[in-house]
Amino acid sequence: MTTIALMTDANLAAAAVSCAVPLLAFGLVMVATRRHPRLSAGISIAAVSLSLLGAVFLLASNWHAPAPQVWSAAWLVSDAVQIPLGVLLDPVSLLMMTVVAAICLLVQIYSLGYMAGDPGFSRYYAFMSLFAWAMLSLTLSSSLFQLYVFWELVGLASYLLIGFWFEKFSASQAGKKAFVMTRLGDVAFMLGLFVLLVGAGTLDVTAVNGKAAAQMDPAALTLAALLIFGGIVGKSAQFPLLTWLPDAMEGPTPVSALLHSATMVAAGVFLFARLFPFFSQSPAAMSVFLAIGTVSMLLSSTMAMVSRDIKQVWAYSTVSQLGFMIMGLAAGSYFAGVFHLTTHAGFKALLFLCSGVVIHALGTNDMFEIARKNGRRLKLAMVCMTLAAAALSGIPPLSGFFSKESILVALAGLDNPIWFAAGLLGVFLTAYYAFRLIFIILFPRSELAEPEAEHGIGTAMGSALVILAAATLGLGFAEAPLARFLSGDPAAAHAGPHLPWLPYAGIGLAAGGLLLAWFEFGRPAADQKGFVERVPALEALFANRWYIDAFYARMVSRLVDRGVAWLCAKTDQRVIDAGLDAASRNLIRSSGVLSTLQSGMIQHRLLVLFAVVVMLGLYFIA
Amino acid sequence: MIVPYSHILALAGIVFLLGMICTVTRRNLILMLLGLEIMLNAAAIALVGASLRWMAMDGQAMALFIVVVAAGEVSLGLALIVCVHRSTGSVDPALENRSAPENPSA
Repeated sequence: MTTIALMTDANLAAAAVSCAVPLLAFGLVMVATRRHPRLSAGISIAAVSLSLLGAVFLLASNWHAPAPQVWSAAWLVSDAVQIPLGVLLDPVSLLMMTVVAAICLLVQIYSLGYMAGDPGFSRYYAFMSLFAWAMLSLTLSSSLFQLYVFWELVGLASYLLIGFWFEKFSASQAGKKAFVMTRLGDVAFMLGLFVLLVGAGTLDVTAVNGKAAAQMDPAALTLAALLIFGGIVGKSAQFPLLTWLPDAMEGPTPVSALLHSATMVAAGVFLFARLFPFFSQSPAAMSVFLAIGTVSMLLSSTMAMVSRDIKQVWAYSTVSQLGFMIMGLAAGSYFAGVFHLTTHAGFKALLFLCSGVVIHALGTNDMFEIARKNGRRLKLAMVCMTLAAAALSGIPPLSGFFSKESILVALAGLDNPIWFAAGLLGVFLTAYYAFRLIFIILFPRSELAEPEAEHGIGTAMGSALVILAAATLGLGFAEAPLARFLSGDPAAAHAGPHLPWLPYAGIGLAAGGLLLAWFEFGRPAADQKGFVERVPALEALFANRWYIDAFYARMVSRLVDRGVAWLCAKTDQRVIDAGLDAASRNLIRSSGVLSTLQSGMIQHRLLVLFAVVVMLGLYFIA
Repeated sequence: MIVPYSHILALAGIVFLLGMICTVTRRNLILMLLGLEIMLNAAAIALVGASLRWMAMDGQAMALFIVVVAAGEVSLGLALIVCVHRSTGSVDPALENRSAPENPSA
């Protein structure tokens, strides 16, 4: 793990170019070509294509020799503390880089159609390039400090893109919410970095994963791990900071696709995978992570069961799948988490892009509305969406099945069966809500007589869908080679007890969820009311996101409005005002005392004069 | 020298103190001027005594100067007092203060 070798020049050059080119595109578009939308899009797409080429080249050239390679230079040296900047190439960063570049490219190509005619077209592509640059650089960062910088840049880019239509009040609100809530986690992350720096004396990723952390005090190590995980909770929208992600769909749909699959939220899980050896040295922290992942996974699944907004359902499912990844990682299976991250990037991007096609064509987010407007006419989008939803539910032979199964194997290996049970419940719920949406759209109860004017699905949008659908179909079969690449051992995919019945249990539960969805929403006689909706209290609970937002609002009003504001008001009244008053009162009183000296009697002055002279005389004589 | 210098200094000190008390306590400008003169004379006594003690003429010369200055001071001071008396009708040093018109803004 700590093999620090100088990279060969070709690798370094490829990595540097792939990282830097999107930044160049961002600068160029912002400065020079804002008035020429087609040119801006061309520059941005060319840049990210170059990045993808670089990433694929790196992946291919390191495919058979995945020893970690570091190239770094000291950037900040202060006594014993050294903060290097550099590039770290190891299997997880290479895989992530390829995924990020690929998804960015597809989303940008798709956006050619989706964003056509938008007044902010150039700005959109500039931000997309910024996003790509930040995320690519994040994956290749060799020190945690550097990673933190790009982590924040990713946050900034997503803020800009979520609030892209800033004229819309809800969009700018959602952007702010995303920014502030992730910032909460980032503060914890930064504190964790300080603890790590004090405890281990270094922020270098390989050192932190290696022996530097092993020398740390176990309590400090657990503290650092928990604080750094705070950053992951914010970024990956885990419990209790999960409510920003469902609101983040206020941005353009391709942005949601990017945000939910390969960039923003994936950064959190990527950090977990990146520091996996470090985290796994603290079993206490790992069990906390496991609990948080499980809670987020189940909570957001229940929220998705009642939502009517198509993008919101996928947003909840993202939180839930990220919870799954964190469960897998926290259960000790490095490969399961990273593999699910990879497959999820593919099918989640596909889901959002398909939803984008539908929303673009019909102009509504509401799934019943889409059904009524005969959304199933959009054949390609419907086929792709069903495929991706099946992958999300874990139905073989799609990619989601393989990655979910490897997470379930890891969970089954834990001593406490409750995690495994929660995982299985998650599989069931996921299949249920995914197919609830699909069935509602595919089997409308009433249709508009005449279809509305239709936006055609352009070749740009269509090609992105087809490529992602192919990835969703095929990626699952790459499990063994990926396992060999990531952990040097093809058997790592099934690190856990050998349970022959496990895949069947997974499939069975997914099929159960699907059947329940069919029973309630799909079959012709169904009244399209879910079992949750029959219990009003439960529905209210789920639809209001378990009152997490309400809780935050209450807490903010308690803490900020009544607590901090009250404190400030009292400080103002009791300390500043009262202090000034007291000071002036005392000034008046003391000047009253002093003014008695000013009696106007010349003889009093004379007396003082004599007294002073006498005293001076005594002083000099003595 | 029969009288020791310390006695002369003590006498000068006593006279000076008397002059001082007179200057500070009297509510009459003329008596205050008188006190000043007494203090000057006390200084002159000390200077003459010192001249005797060290057998030098400087002290006596200084004493003569003091007498001249005192004479000049008295003439000037009395003239001023007459002036004050003419304008205020009083020779009380505190009276001017008391009879001055009150400043409303103070």
